[in-house]
Amino acid sequence: MANAALRNVKVLPNSANMEEARHRVFQFFRTACRSLPSVMEIYNLYDVVSVSELRSSVSSQIRKNIHVTDPKVIDMLLFKGMEELKNVVDHSKQRHHIIGQYVVGQQVQDSATKDQGTSTFLKNFYNTNYF
Amino acid sequence: MATNTFTGASLSERFLRLKLNQRLAFNSIAGQRYSSISSYGRRNVSFSSQPRSIRLTVSCAAKPETVEKVCKIVKNQLALSDDSKVNGESTFTALGADSLDTVEIVMGLEEEFGITVEEDSAQSISTVQEAADLIEEIINKQSP
Repeated sequence: MANAALRNVKVLPNSANMEEARHRVFQFFRTACRSLPSVMEIYNLYDVVSVSELRSSVSSQIRKNIHVTDPKVIDMLLFKGMEELKNVVDHSKQRHHIIGQYVVGQQVQDSATKDQGTSTFLKNFYNTNYF
Repeated sequence: MATNTFTGASLSERFLRLKLNQRLAFNSIAGQRYSSISSYGRRNVSFSSQPRSIRLTVSCAAKPETVEKVCKIVKNQLALSDDSKVNGESTFTALGADSLDTVEIVMGLEEEFGITVEEDSAQSISTVQEAADLIEEIINKQSP
C-alpha cells in the first residue's frame, strides 16, 4: 500500500518561496504518518512502540530543523527525509535500525546530556569524533 | 477584502450545514409518518412516536461525544495535564500548538476515527469545535 504510493514519488523542483517549502514539509509529514501503520506491520513493532509514539518521534525529528529558513536547505532536507522514508517502507532497514533510531534514540541522547561529572573532553568524545 | 471573503465563505458554509440538517430532519419525519399510516393506522401512532424521539436523542448526543473525544486526543497530543480546560472553543494556538502540532493532531484524529481528512480541510482547522464538525461531516459522507 504505502510502498506503491511512494514508488511514484518524483524529485520536485526547488521551492519558490518559504511558504511553498513549509507546505511541502506538512505534505511530507502527512505522507510519513500515513505510512506508519504499514511500517508497524513490516517490522512487527507492536510490542515495542505505538503508532502515536512513532508519529511523535517523526515530528520531533522534523522539529529539530525548525530554525532553517532557506528554501533550498529545506528542499534538501525533504529529499533526504523522503529517501529515508522510502528506505524504511521498502524494508531496506532491519528492525533494530528502526528501534535504535526512532524508539530509543532520544533516550540515549537524553541520558548522555545528563552526565554532570564528566569532563568536557569526554562529553565531546561521546557526542562526536569531529571536534 | 480577504477578511470579508472569508467571513462570507464561513457564513455560507454554516447556512448550508443548517439547511442540510433541516432537510434530513424533514425527510426522516415524512418517512415515519408515511410508513405508520400505510402499515398500522391511527391506533399505533403513539407507539411509533417513541423510536422517533430515540433517534433524535441519539443524533443530538453524537456531537458533544465527538467534541469530548477530540478534546481528549488534543490533550494527549500536546501533553497537557488533565486539569487544563479544553473545550469546543479552545484554539490550538492558544493551547501552545504550532503548525506542525496542528497537523499531528489532525493525523491523530484520522487514526482515532478511521477517516481521511483532505489537505484543504485540514488547513482550515483552528479550534476543537471546527475539528469535531469536520469529523462529523466526513463520517456522514462515508457512512452511506
